[in-house]
Amino acid sequence: MRKVALVGAGVSKFGVRKASYRDLIWEAGKACFDAVPAVKPKDVEGLVVGSVMPERTAFQSHISSMAAEALGIRPSALSARTEHMCASGTVGIRYAYAFIAAGLADLVMVLGVEKLNQPSGDEAILNMGTGVDREWEASFGLTAPPCFALAAQRHIAEYGTTEEQLAMVGVKNHTHASKNPNAHFQRGATLEQVLGSRMISSPLRLFMCSPITDGAAAVLVASEERARALTDTPVWIRGTGQALDGFQLTSLHENYAHWPALSRAAQAAYGMAGVRPQDVDVAEVHDCFAIAELIAYEELGFCEKGEAGAFVAAGRSDYGGDVVVNSRGGLMGCGHPLGATGVAQAAEVFAQLRGEAGARQVDDAAIGLTHNNSGMGEHVVMIYGRESR
Amino acid sequence: MSYFRATDPFPLESAEHTKLHEFYARLAAGRLATTRCAACKRLAWPPRAFCGECASDRFDWVDLSGEGTIHAFTIQEVGLPSGFAGPRVFAIVKIDGLRVFSILVDAEPAKVAIGQAVRLSPLRVADDPSGNARWLPAFRPA
Ligand SMILES: CC(C)(COP(=O)(O)OP(=O)(O)OC[C@H]1O[C@@H](n2cnc3c(N)ncnc32)[C@H](O)[C@@H]1OP(=O)(O)O)[C@@H](O)C(=O)NCCC(=O)NCCS
Ligand SMILES: [Zn+2]
Repeated sequence: MRKVALVGAGVSKFGVRKASYRDLIWEAGKACFDAVPAVKPKDVEGLVVGSVMPERTAFQSHISSMAAEALGIRPSALSARTEHMCASGTVGIRYAYAFIAAGLADLVMVLGVEKLNQPSGDEAILNMGTGVDREWEASFGLTAPPCFALAAQRHIAEYGTTEEQLAMVGVKNHTHASKNPNAHFQRGATLEQVLGSRMISSPLRLFMCSPITDGAAAVLVASEERARALTDTPVWIRGTGQALDGFQLTSLHENYAHWPALSRAAQAAYGMAGVRPQDVDVAEVHDCFAIAELIAYEELGFCEKGEAGAFVAAGRSDYGGDVVVNSRGGLMGCGHPLGATGVAQAAEVFAQLRGEAGARQVDDAAIGLTHNNSGMGEHVVMIYGRESR
Repeated sequence: MSYFRATDPFPLESAEHTKLHEFYARLAAGRLATTRCAACKRLAWPPRAFCGECASDRFDWVDLSGEGTIHAFTIQEVGLPSGFAGPRVFAIVKIDGLRVFSILVDAEPAKVAIGQAVRLSPLRVADDPSGNARWLPAFRPA
Protein backbone atom coordinates (compact mmCIF):
# COMPACT_ATOMS: atom_id res chain seq x y z
CA MET A 1 0.00 0.00 0.00
CA ARG A 2 1.12 3.54 -0.73
CA LYS A 3 1.59 6.15 1.97
CA VAL A 4 -1.14 8.77 2.25
CA ALA A 5 -1.11 12.24 3.78
CA LEU A 6 -3.26 15.28 4.42
CA VAL A 7 -1.92 18.32 2.57
CA GLY A 8 -4.56 20.93 3.32
CA ALA A 9 -7.58 21.64 5.50
CA GLY A 10 -10.22 24.29 5.98
CA VAL A 11 -13.27 24.78 8.15
CA SER A 12 -16.30 27.06 7.87
CA LYS A 13 -17.64 29.00 10.81
CA PHE A 14 -19.78 26.58 12.87
CA GLY A 15 -23.00 27.74 14.51
CA VAL A 16 -26.65 28.47 13.88
CA ARG A 17 -25.74 29.88 10.51
CA LYS A 18 -27.62 32.21 8.23
CA ALA A 19 -26.27 30.24 5.29
CA SER A 20 -27.57 27.65 2.86
CA TYR A 21 -26.26 24.10 2.50
CA ARG A 22 -24.37 25.21 -0.62
CA ASP A 23 -23.01 28.33 1.14
CA LEU A 24 -21.42 26.06 3.73
CA ILE A 25 -19.84 23.90 1.00
CA TRP A 26 -18.40 27.05 -0.59
CA GLU A 27 -17.01 28.29 2.72
CA ALA A 28 -15.20 25.07 3.62
CA GLY A 29 -13.97 24.57 0.05
CA LYS A 30 -12.64 28.13 -0.07
CA ALA A 31 -10.83 27.73 3.26
CA CYS A 32 -9.26 24.45 2.14
CA PHE A 33 -8.13 25.69 -1.31
CA ASP A 34 -6.77 28.88 0.28
CA ALA A 35 -4.60 26.71 2.51
CA VAL A 36 -2.98 25.00 -0.52
CA PRO A 37 -2.60 27.68 -3.20
CA ALA A 38 -0.83 25.26 -5.54
CA VAL A 39 -4.00 23.18 -5.86
CA LYS A 40 -6.89 24.39 -8.01
CA PRO A 41 -10.29 22.67 -8.14
CA LYS A 42 -9.47 21.10 -11.53
CA ASP A 43 -6.45 19.33 -9.99
CA VAL A 44 -8.61 17.37 -7.56
CA GLU A 45 -9.33 13.86 -8.91
CA GLY A 46 -11.84 12.75 -6.37
CA LEU A 47 -14.44 14.03 -3.95
CA VAL A 48 -16.05 12.28 -1.01
CA VAL A 49 -18.78 14.17 0.83
CA GLY A 50 -19.80 13.17 4.35
CA SER A 51 -23.34 14.39 4.92
CA VAL A 52 -26.15 12.81 6.89
CA MET A 53 -29.50 14.41 6.22
CA PRO A 54 -29.56 16.85 3.30
CA GLU A 55 -32.64 14.96 2.07
CA ARG A 56 -34.45 16.33 5.11
CA THR A 57 -32.76 19.68 5.64
CA ALA A 58 -32.06 20.82 2.07
CA PHE A 59 -34.42 18.42 0.25
CA GLN A 60 -31.40 17.42 -1.78
CA SER A 61 -29.81 14.09 -2.77
CA HIS A 62 -27.00 13.47 -5.31
CA ILE A 63 -24.74 15.27 -2.92
CA SER A 64 -21.24 14.54 -4.17
CA SER A 65 -22.02 15.76 -7.69
CA MET A 66 -23.78 18.84 -6.37
CA ALA A 67 -20.77 19.70 -4.19
CA ALA A 68 -18.29 18.90 -6.98
CA GLU A 69 -20.06 21.36 -9.26
CA ALA A 70 -20.25 23.98 -6.53
CA LEU A 71 -16.49 23.74 -6.05
CA GLY A 72 -15.46 23.25 -9.69
CA ILE A 73 -14.11 19.75 -9.06
CA ARG A 74 -14.44 17.32 -11.97
CA PRO A 75 -13.95 13.91 -10.35
CA SER A 76 -12.12 11.39 -12.53
CA ALA A 77 -11.11 8.80 -9.95
CA LEU A 78 -13.66 8.86 -7.13
CA SER A 79 -16.96 10.57 -6.36
CA ALA A 80 -19.11 9.39 -3.48
CA ARG A 81 -21.16 10.45 -0.52
CA THR A 82 -20.78 8.84 2.88
CA GLU A 83 -23.83 8.74 5.13
CA HIS A 84 -22.87 7.11 8.38
CA MET A 85 -24.62 9.30 10.93
CA CYS A 86 -22.21 11.17 13.23
CA ALA A 87 -19.08 9.44 11.86
CA SER A 88 -19.82 10.19 8.20
CA GLY A 89 -16.86 12.55 7.84
CA THR A 90 -14.25 10.14 9.13
CA VAL A 91 -15.74 7.30 7.13
CA GLY A 92 -15.25 9.56 4.09
CA ILE A 93 -11.58 10.06 4.99
CA ARG A 94 -11.18 6.28 5.17
CA TYR A 95 -12.56 5.97 1.61
CA ALA A 96 -10.12 8.58 0.33
CA TYR A 97 -7.30 6.87 2.21
CA ALA A 98 -8.11 3.46 0.73
CA PHE A 99 -8.43 4.75 -2.85
CA ILE A 100 -5.13 6.60 -2.63
CA ALA A 101 -3.29 3.80 -0.80
CA ALA A 102 -4.47 1.40 -3.51
CA GLY A 103 -3.19 3.64 -6.28
CA LEU A 104 -6.63 4.51 -7.67
CA ALA A 105 -6.29 8.24 -7.02
CA ASP A 106 -3.59 10.77 -6.09
CA LEU A 107 -5.48 13.77 -4.80
CA VAL A 108 -8.94 13.60 -3.20
CA MET A 109 -10.96 16.16 -1.27
CA VAL A 110 -13.07 14.96 1.65
CA LEU A 111 -15.73 17.46 2.57
CA GLY A 112 -18.18 17.18 5.44
CA VAL A 113 -21.26 19.37 5.49
CA GLU A 114 -24.49 19.64 7.42
CA LYS A 115 -27.21 22.26 7.63
CA LEU A 116 -29.12 21.07 10.69
CA ASN A 117 -31.00 24.16 11.84
CA GLN A 118 -33.54 23.94 9.08
CA PRO A 119 -36.36 24.79 8.86
CA SER A 120 -36.87 25.08 12.65
CA GLY A 121 -35.39 23.88 15.93
CA ASP A 122 -38.25 21.44 16.43
CA GLU A 123 -37.74 19.92 13.04
CA ALA A 124 -33.98 19.67 13.63
CA ILE A 125 -34.50 17.49 16.67
CA LEU A 126 -37.16 15.43 14.87
CA ASN A 127 -34.60 14.81 12.13
CA MET A 128 -31.99 13.63 14.65
CA GLY A 129 -34.27 10.66 15.29
CA THR A 130 -33.35 9.28 11.88
CA GLY A 131 -30.06 8.12 13.40
CA VAL A 132 -31.66 5.49 15.63
CA ASP A 133 -33.95 2.62 14.63
CA ARG A 134 -37.21 4.10 13.36
CA GLU A 135 -39.42 1.11 14.12
CA TRP A 136 -38.07 0.06 17.51
CA GLU A 137 -36.56 3.26 18.94
CA ALA A 138 -37.32 6.54 17.17
CA SER A 139 -41.06 5.74 17.14
CA PHE A 140 -40.92 6.28 20.93
CA GLY A 141 -39.27 9.69 20.47
CA LEU A 142 -35.72 8.46 21.04
CA THR A 143 -32.79 10.62 19.94
CA ALA A 144 -29.17 10.62 21.13
CA PRO A 145 -29.32 12.30 24.58
CA PRO A 146 -31.16 9.48 26.42
CA CYS A 147 -28.85 6.86 24.87
CA PHE A 148 -25.73 8.49 26.24
CA ALA A 149 -27.54 9.21 29.51
CA LEU A 150 -27.83 5.43 30.01
CA ALA A 151 -24.04 5.17 29.67
CA ALA A 152 -23.51 8.04 32.09
CA GLN A 153 -25.73 6.48 34.74
CA ARG A 154 -23.95 3.19 34.48
CA HIS A 155 -20.52 4.86 34.73
CA ILE A 156 -21.65 6.73 37.83
CA ALA A 157 -23.11 3.61 39.45
CA GLU A 158 -20.17 1.39 38.69
CA TYR A 159 -17.13 3.63 39.09
CA GLY A 160 -18.34 6.44 41.30
CA THR A 161 -17.90 8.99 38.52
CA THR A 162 -19.37 12.29 39.71
CA GLU A 163 -21.50 15.00 38.15
CA GLU A 164 -18.58 17.38 38.75
CA GLN A 165 -16.31 15.17 36.68
CA LEU A 166 -18.83 15.07 33.85
CA ALA A 167 -19.12 18.84 34.12
CA MET A 168 -15.33 19.26 33.90
CA VAL A 169 -15.42 17.86 30.37
CA GLY A 170 -17.85 20.64 29.48
CA VAL A 171 -15.69 23.28 31.17
CA LYS A 172 -12.53 22.08 29.43
CA ASN A 173 -14.05 21.89 25.96
CA HIS A 174 -15.95 25.18 26.19
CA THR A 175 -12.72 26.82 27.42
CA HIS A 176 -10.81 25.40 24.45
CA ALA A 177 -13.55 26.58 22.09
CA SER A 178 -13.14 30.13 23.36
CA LYS A 179 -9.81 30.14 21.47
CA ASN A 180 -11.37 28.86 18.26
CA PRO A 181 -12.96 31.54 16.07
CA ASN A 182 -14.84 28.87 14.09
CA ALA A 183 -16.51 27.35 17.16
CA HIS A 184 -20.26 27.55 17.77
CA PHE A 185 -19.67 28.76 21.36
CA GLN A 186 -16.83 31.06 22.37
CA ARG A 187 -17.87 32.26 25.79
CA GLY A 188 -16.26 29.45 27.80
CA ALA A 189 -18.02 27.93 30.80
CA THR A 190 -17.46 27.64 34.53
CA LEU A 191 -18.10 24.56 36.67
CA GLU A 192 -21.01 26.35 38.37
CA GLN A 193 -22.50 27.23 35.00
CA VAL A 194 -22.30 23.66 33.72
CA LEU A 195 -23.67 22.15 36.93
CA GLY A 196 -26.41 24.78 37.05
CA SER A 197 -27.51 24.35 33.45
CA ARG A 198 -30.87 22.70 32.83
CA MET A 199 -31.32 18.95 32.87
CA ILE A 200 -31.67 17.44 29.41
CA SER A 201 -31.70 13.70 30.09
CA SER A 202 -30.65 12.62 33.57
CA PRO A 203 -27.77 12.99 34.45
CA LEU A 204 -26.76 14.98 31.34
CA ARG A 205 -27.25 18.75 31.59
CA LEU A 206 -27.24 21.28 28.76
CA PHE A 207 -23.51 22.06 28.98
CA MET A 208 -22.72 18.34 28.95
CA CYS A 209 -24.32 18.08 25.48
CA SER A 210 -23.26 19.12 22.01
CA PRO A 211 -25.67 21.55 20.33
CA ILE A 212 -27.48 21.47 16.96
CA THR A 213 -25.06 23.15 14.57
CA ASP A 214 -24.56 24.04 10.91
CA GLY A 215 -21.10 23.81 9.42
CA ALA A 216 -18.69 22.32 6.92
CA ALA A 217 -15.05 21.26 6.77
CA ALA A 218 -12.73 19.99 4.05
CA VAL A 219 -9.37 18.25 3.82
CA LEU A 220 -7.19 17.41 0.84
CA VAL A 221 -5.77 13.89 0.92
CA ALA A 222 -2.80 12.96 -1.29
CA SER A 223 -0.47 10.14 -2.28
CA GLU A 224 3.11 10.38 -0.99
CA GLU A 225 4.48 11.64 -4.28
CA ARG A 226 1.78 14.30 -4.68
CA ALA A 227 2.02 15.27 -1.02
CA ARG A 228 5.76 15.85 -1.18
CA ALA A 229 5.32 17.94 -4.32
CA LEU A 230 2.72 20.11 -2.63
CA THR A 231 4.13 20.70 0.84
CA ASP A 232 7.17 20.24 3.08
CA THR A 233 4.91 19.42 6.00
CA PRO A 234 2.32 16.79 5.07
CA VAL A 235 0.48 15.09 7.91
CA TRP A 236 0.55 11.33 7.42
CA ILE A 237 -2.33 8.96 7.92
CA ARG A 238 -0.63 6.30 10.00
CA GLY A 239 -3.48 4.08 11.06
CA THR A 240 -7.22 3.60 10.89
CA GLY A 241 -9.79 1.31 12.45
CA GLN A 242 -13.56 0.95 12.49
CA ALA A 243 -15.71 -1.46 14.50
CA LEU A 244 -19.38 -2.10 15.26
CA ASP A 245 -20.99 -3.62 18.33
CA GLY A 246 -24.52 -3.05 17.13
CA PHE A 247 -27.09 -0.56 15.95
CA GLN A 248 -30.05 -0.77 18.31
CA LEU A 249 -29.54 -0.02 22.01
CA THR A 250 -30.55 -3.55 22.89
CA SER A 251 -27.79 -4.99 20.69
CA LEU A 252 -25.00 -3.19 22.53
CA HIS A 253 -22.97 -4.43 25.49
CA GLU A 254 -25.38 -4.92 28.39
CA ASN A 255 -23.27 -2.51 30.41
CA TYR A 256 -23.74 0.76 28.54
CA ALA A 257 -20.51 2.18 30.00
CA HIS A 258 -18.52 -0.45 28.08
CA TRP A 259 -17.86 0.27 24.41
CA PRO A 260 -15.88 -2.72 23.14
CA ALA A 261 -16.13 -1.55 19.51
CA LEU A 262 -14.16 1.57 20.38
CA SER A 263 -11.43 -0.49 21.96
CA ARG A 264 -11.29 -2.73 18.86
CA ALA A 265 -11.22 0.21 16.45
CA ALA A 266 -8.44 1.81 18.51
CA GLN A 267 -6.37 -1.37 18.65
CA ALA A 268 -6.61 -1.73 14.89
CA ALA A 269 -5.49 1.86 14.37
CA TYR A 270 -2.67 1.72 16.94
CA GLY A 271 -1.42 -1.57 15.51
CA MET A 272 -1.36 -0.23 11.98
CA ALA A 273 0.34 2.99 13.07
CA GLY A 274 2.85 1.34 15.37
CA VAL A 275 2.03 3.74 18.19
CA ARG A 276 0.78 3.28 21.76
CA PRO A 277 -1.85 5.32 23.58
CA GLN A 278 0.85 7.08 25.61
CA ASP A 279 2.47 8.31 22.38
CA VAL A 280 -0.59 10.40 21.43
CA ASP A 281 0.00 14.13 21.93
CA VAL A 282 -3.31 15.51 20.75
CA ALA A 283 -6.66 13.75 20.39
CA GLU A 284 -9.96 14.87 18.95
CA VAL A 285 -12.52 12.60 20.57
CA HIS A 286 -16.25 12.43 19.98
CA ASP A 287 -17.62 14.36 22.97
CA CYS A 288 -21.21 14.49 21.70
CA PHE A 289 -21.99 14.22 25.42
CA ALA A 290 -19.56 14.55 28.35
CA ILE A 291 -19.83 10.86 29.16
CA ALA A 292 -18.67 9.94 25.67
CA GLU A 293 -15.36 11.71 26.19
CA LEU A 294 -14.84 9.96 29.53
CA ILE A 295 -15.53 6.51 28.14
CA ALA A 296 -13.30 7.31 25.15
CA TYR A 297 -10.30 7.99 27.46
CA GLU A 298 -10.76 4.47 28.80
CA GLU A 299 -11.40 2.59 25.59
CA LEU A 300 -8.61 4.48 23.78
CA GLY A 301 -6.22 3.42 26.55
CA PHE A 302 -5.42 6.88 27.92
CA CYS A 303 -6.40 5.59 31.37
CA GLU A 304 -7.73 2.41 32.99
CA LYS A 305 -11.42 1.47 32.87
CA GLY A 306 -13.30 3.45 35.48
CA GLU A 307 -10.60 6.10 35.97
CA ALA A 308 -11.75 8.63 33.40
CA GLY A 309 -13.45 10.89 35.93
CA ALA A 310 -10.25 11.24 37.93
CA PHE A 311 -8.27 11.62 34.68
CA VAL A 312 -10.17 14.73 33.60
CA ALA A 313 -10.33 16.11 37.15
CA ALA A 314 -6.53 15.93 37.41
CA GLY A 315 -6.14 17.87 34.17
CA ARG A 316 -4.51 14.93 32.43
CA SER A 317 -6.55 15.51 29.26
CA ASP A 318 -5.79 19.23 29.14
CA TYR A 319 -2.76 21.36 28.24
CA GLY A 320 0.18 20.24 30.38
CA GLY A 321 -1.37 16.81 30.94
CA ASP A 322 -0.81 13.39 29.32
CA VAL A 323 -2.70 14.18 26.11
CA VAL A 324 -4.60 17.29 25.06
CA VAL A 325 -8.12 16.19 24.24
CA ASN A 326 -10.34 18.32 22.02
CA SER A 327 -8.08 21.33 21.59
CA ARG A 328 -10.49 22.89 19.07
CA GLY A 329 -13.33 22.73 21.63
CA GLY A 330 -14.80 19.37 20.76
CA LEU A 331 -18.36 18.79 19.69
CA MET A 332 -19.61 20.53 22.81
CA GLY A 333 -17.81 23.78 22.07
CA CYS A 334 -17.60 23.71 18.27
CA GLY A 335 -20.97 22.13 17.72
CA HIS A 336 -21.72 18.91 15.88
CA PRO A 337 -22.78 19.37 12.25
CA LEU A 338 -22.81 15.59 11.84
CA GLY A 339 -21.03 14.98 8.52
CA ALA A 340 -18.65 17.89 9.10
CA THR A 341 -17.44 16.80 12.53
CA GLY A 342 -15.00 14.05 11.55
CA VAL A 343 -13.46 16.24 8.86
CA ALA A 344 -13.15 19.17 11.27
CA GLN A 345 -11.42 16.85 13.75
CA ALA A 346 -8.91 15.91 11.04
CA ALA A 347 -8.43 19.60 10.20
CA GLU A 348 -7.54 20.31 13.85
CA VAL A 349 -5.02 17.48 14.04
CA PHE A 350 -3.57 18.67 10.72
CA ALA A 351 -3.06 22.16 12.17
CA GLN A 352 -1.67 20.83 15.45
CA LEU A 353 0.90 18.51 13.84
CA ARG A 354 2.10 21.33 11.58
CA GLY A 355 2.42 23.74 14.50
CA GLU A 356 -0.22 26.02 12.98
CA ALA A 357 -2.87 25.88 15.70
CA GLY A 358 -2.11 29.35 17.08
CA ALA A 359 -3.50 29.99 20.55
CA ARG A 360 -4.55 26.35 20.76
CA GLN A 361 -1.15 24.89 19.82
CA VAL A 362 -0.06 21.81 21.77
CA ASP A 363 3.71 21.90 22.32
CA ASP A 364 5.63 19.75 19.87
CA ALA A 365 2.62 17.68 18.80
CA ALA A 366 3.87 14.75 16.69
CA ILE A 367 1.14 12.12 16.96
CA GLY A 368 -2.56 12.95 16.68
CA LEU A 369 -5.68 10.81 17.00
CA THR A 370 -9.27 11.35 15.98
CA HIS A 371 -12.24 9.38 17.27
CA ASN A 372 -15.66 9.71 15.66
CA ASN A 373 -18.65 7.58 16.57
CA SER A 374 -22.12 6.82 15.31
CA GLY A 375 -24.11 6.11 18.44
CA MET A 376 -22.48 4.18 21.27
CA GLY A 377 -22.07 1.02 19.23
CA GLU A 378 -19.92 2.12 16.33
CA HIS A 379 -16.54 3.80 16.35
CA VAL A 380 -13.91 5.03 13.91
CA VAL A 381 -10.35 5.91 14.93
CA MET A 382 -7.63 7.57 12.84
CA ILE A 383 -3.99 8.10 13.80
CA TYR A 384 -1.93 10.80 12.16
CA GLY A 385 1.80 11.46 12.38
CA ARG A 386 4.19 14.30 11.62
CA GLU A 387 6.58 11.58 10.41
CA SER A 388 5.46 9.01 7.88
CA ARG A 389 6.73 6.17 10.08
CA MET B 1 -51.32 16.85 5.20
CA SER B 2 -48.83 15.36 2.80
CA TYR B 3 -46.05 17.20 4.64
CA PHE B 4 -46.98 15.53 7.91
CA ARG B 5 -46.99 12.13 6.22
CA ALA B 6 -43.46 12.72 5.06
CA THR B 7 -42.40 12.90 8.71
CA ASP B 8 -44.62 10.12 10.07
CA PRO B 9 -42.62 8.96 13.09
CA PHE B 10 -44.36 5.60 13.46
CA PRO B 11 -43.85 2.34 11.58
CA LEU B 12 -46.31 1.04 9.01
CA GLU B 13 -47.69 -1.98 10.84
CA SER B 14 -50.30 -3.49 8.52
CA ALA B 15 -49.87 -6.78 6.69
CA GLU B 16 -49.26 -5.17 3.32
CA HIS B 17 -46.39 -3.16 4.75
CA THR B 18 -44.34 -5.48 6.94
CA LYS B 19 -43.40 -9.11 7.50
CA LEU B 20 -43.68 -8.29 11.20
CA HIS B 21 -47.41 -7.56 11.08
CA GLU B 22 -48.15 -10.46 13.43
CA PHE B 23 -46.20 -8.68 16.17
CA TYR B 24 -48.50 -5.67 15.92
CA ALA B 25 -51.65 -7.78 15.63
CA ARG B 26 -50.76 -9.57 18.88
CA LEU B 27 -49.76 -6.28 20.49
CA ALA B 28 -53.20 -4.83 19.69
CA ALA B 29 -54.61 -7.83 21.58
CA GLY B 30 -52.42 -7.06 24.60
CA ARG B 31 -49.71 -9.66 23.94
CA LEU B 32 -45.95 -9.17 23.56
CA ALA B 33 -44.55 -11.49 20.93
CA THR B 34 -41.30 -12.02 19.11
CA THR B 35 -39.75 -14.37 16.58
CA ARG B 36 -37.80 -17.60 17.04
CA CYS B 37 -35.67 -18.77 14.13
CA ALA B 38 -37.19 -21.99 12.79
CA ALA B 39 -33.75 -23.32 11.83
CA CYS B 40 -31.39 -22.51 14.72
CA LYS B 41 -34.10 -21.77 17.31
CA ARG B 42 -32.55 -18.46 18.31
CA LEU B 43 -34.99 -16.15 20.09
CA ALA B 44 -34.70 -12.58 18.81
CA TRP B 45 -35.54 -9.13 20.11
CA PRO B 46 -36.84 -7.22 18.31
CA PRO B 47 -38.62 -9.70 16.04
CA ARG B 48 -36.94 -10.31 12.70
CA ALA B 49 -37.70 -12.04 9.42
CA PHE B 50 -34.09 -13.02 8.71
CA CYS B 51 -31.77 -14.77 11.16
CA GLY B 52 -28.42 -13.02 11.48
CA GLU B 53 -26.87 -16.19 12.94
CA CYS B 54 -27.82 -18.88 10.43
CA ALA B 55 -29.25 -16.80 7.54
CA SER B 56 -32.62 -18.57 7.62
CA ASP B 57 -35.75 -16.62 6.77
CA ARG B 58 -38.09 -19.11 8.44
CA PHE B 59 -39.37 -18.08 11.83
CA ASP B 60 -42.15 -18.77 14.30
CA TRP B 61 -44.00 -16.32 16.50
CA VAL B 62 -43.78 -16.86 20.24
CA ASP B 63 -45.46 -14.95 23.04
CA LEU B 64 -43.23 -13.46 25.70
CA SER B 65 -44.20 -12.77 29.26
CA GLY B 66 -45.74 -9.32 29.44
CA GLU B 67 -43.88 -8.72 32.70
CA GLY B 68 -40.30 -7.64 33.17
CA THR B 69 -37.94 -5.49 35.23
CA ILE B 70 -36.13 -2.23 34.52
CA HIS B 71 -32.49 -2.83 33.58
CA ALA B 72 -31.66 0.85 32.91
CA PHE B 73 -33.58 4.06 32.43
CA THR B 74 -33.25 7.80 31.91
CA ILE B 75 -35.73 10.65 32.11
CA GLN B 76 -35.56 13.16 29.29
CA GLU B 77 -36.89 16.58 30.25
CA VAL B 78 -36.36 18.64 27.09
CA GLY B 79 -35.00 18.29 23.58
CA LEU B 80 -37.57 15.69 22.49
CA PRO B 81 -38.71 15.60 18.86
CA SER B 82 -41.87 17.57 18.22
CA GLY B 83 -44.93 15.53 19.05
CA PHE B 84 -43.16 13.81 21.98
CA ALA B 85 -43.43 15.58 25.33
CA GLY B 86 -41.11 15.47 28.33
CA PRO B 87 -40.54 14.34 30.95
CA ARG B 88 -40.32 11.01 29.20
CA VAL B 89 -39.02 7.84 30.84
CA PHE B 90 -36.98 5.74 28.42
CA ALA B 91 -36.18 2.29 29.74
CA ILE B 92 -34.46 -0.95 28.89
CA VAL B 93 -36.75 -3.70 30.18
CA LYS B 94 -35.55 -7.26 30.83
CA ILE B 95 -38.10 -9.85 29.78
CA ASP B 96 -37.48 -13.59 29.46
CA GLY B 97 -33.72 -12.94 29.20
CA LEU B 98 -34.17 -10.38 26.41
CA ARG B 99 -33.53 -6.65 26.59
CA VAL B 100 -36.41 -4.58 25.24
CA PHE B 101 -36.18 -0.82 24.63
CA SER B 102 -39.34 1.12 25.44
CA ILE B 103 -40.91 3.93 27.43
CA LEU B 104 -42.62 3.79 30.78
CA VAL B 105 -46.10 5.35 30.79
CA ASP B 106 -48.15 6.39 33.83
CA ALA B 107 -45.04 6.42 35.99
CA GLU B 108 -44.03 9.11 38.45
CA PRO B 109 -40.51 9.88 37.19
CA ALA B 110 -39.04 10.35 40.68
CA LYS B 111 -40.16 6.85 41.68
CA VAL B 112 -38.72 4.91 38.76
CA ALA B 113 -35.93 2.56 39.84
CA ILE B 114 -33.62 -0.09 38.43
CA GLY B 115 -35.07 -3.53 39.17
CA GLN B 116 -38.63 -2.18 39.31
CA ALA B 117 -41.32 -4.55 37.99
CA VAL B 118 -43.16 -3.34 34.89
CA ARG B 119 -45.74 -4.81 32.56
CA LEU B 120 -46.72 -4.39 28.94
CA SER B 121 -49.09 -1.52 28.23
CA PRO B 122 -49.73 -1.26 24.49
CA LEU B 123 -49.75 2.38 23.45
CA ARG B 124 -52.08 3.51 20.69
CA VAL B 125 -50.41 6.11 18.47
CA ALA B 126 -51.60 7.98 15.37
CA ASP B 127 -53.39 5.85 12.78
CA ASP B 128 -51.45 5.12 9.62
CA PRO B 129 -52.27 7.14 6.47
CA SER B 130 -54.88 4.53 5.45
CA GLY B 131 -56.64 4.81 8.80
CA ASN B 132 -55.36 1.59 10.39
CA ALA B 133 -54.82 1.70 14.15
CA ARG B 134 -51.19 1.55 15.28
CA TRP B 135 -49.66 0.37 18.55
CA LEU B 136 -46.25 0.53 20.21
CA PRO B 137 -45.03 -1.83 22.95
CA ALA B 138 -44.89 0.53 25.95
CA PHE B 139 -44.73 -0.50 29.63
CA ARG B 140 -46.20 0.71 32.92
CA PRO B 141 -45.28 0.06 36.56
CA ALA B 142 -46.59 -3.41 37.53
C1 LIG C 1 -29.32 19.78 24.25
C2 LIG C 1 -30.44 20.23 23.33
C3 LIG C 1 -31.65 19.32 23.51
C4 LIG C 1 -30.81 21.68 23.66
O1 LIG C 1 -31.75 22.10 22.72
P1 LIG C 1 -32.87 23.19 23.10
O2 LIG C 1 -33.37 22.91 24.47
O3 LIG C 1 -33.85 23.18 21.97
O4 LIG C 1 -32.03 24.53 23.12
P2 LIG C 1 -32.27 25.81 22.21
O5 LIG C 1 -31.84 25.50 20.82
O6 LIG C 1 -33.66 26.28 22.44
O7 LIG C 1 -31.23 26.85 22.79
C5 LIG C 1 -31.48 27.58 23.98
C6 LIG C 1 -30.18 28.22 24.42
O8 LIG C 1 -29.27 27.19 24.85
C7 LIG C 1 -28.07 27.25 24.07
N1 LIG C 1 -27.68 25.88 23.80
C8 LIG C 1 -28.32 24.98 23.01
N2 LIG C 1 -27.67 23.81 23.04
C9 LIG C 1 -26.59 23.97 23.83
C10 LIG C 1 -25.57 23.10 24.23
N3 LIG C 1 -25.52 21.84 23.81
N4 LIG C 1 -24.62 23.57 25.06
C11 LIG C 1 -24.68 24.84 25.51
N5 LIG C 1 -25.65 25.72 25.17
C12 LIG C 1 -26.59 25.28 24.33
C13 LIG C 1 -28.45 28.00 22.82
O9 LIG C 1 -27.33 28.63 22.27
C14 LIG C 1 -29.46 28.99 23.33
O10 LIG C 1 -28.75 30.04 23.97
P3 LIG C 1 -29.26 31.55 23.91
O11 LIG C 1 -30.57 31.53 24.65
O12 LIG C 1 -28.19 32.30 24.59
O13 LIG C 1 -29.42 31.85 22.46
C15 LIG C 1 -29.98 20.15 21.83
O14 LIG C 1 -28.88 20.98 21.67
C16 LIG C 1 -29.64 18.74 21.42
O15 LIG C 1 -30.50 17.97 21.05
N6 LIG C 1 -28.33 18.37 21.47
C17 LIG C 1 -27.89 17.04 21.14
C18 LIG C 1 -27.56 16.93 19.69
C19 LIG C 1 -27.32 15.51 19.32
O16 LIG C 1 -28.01 14.61 19.74
N7 LIG C 1 -26.31 15.26 18.49
C20 LIG C 1 -25.97 13.94 18.08
C21 LIG C 1 -25.04 13.40 19.09
S1 LIG C 1 -24.55 11.73 18.81
ZN1 LIG D 1 -31.21 -18.97 12.77
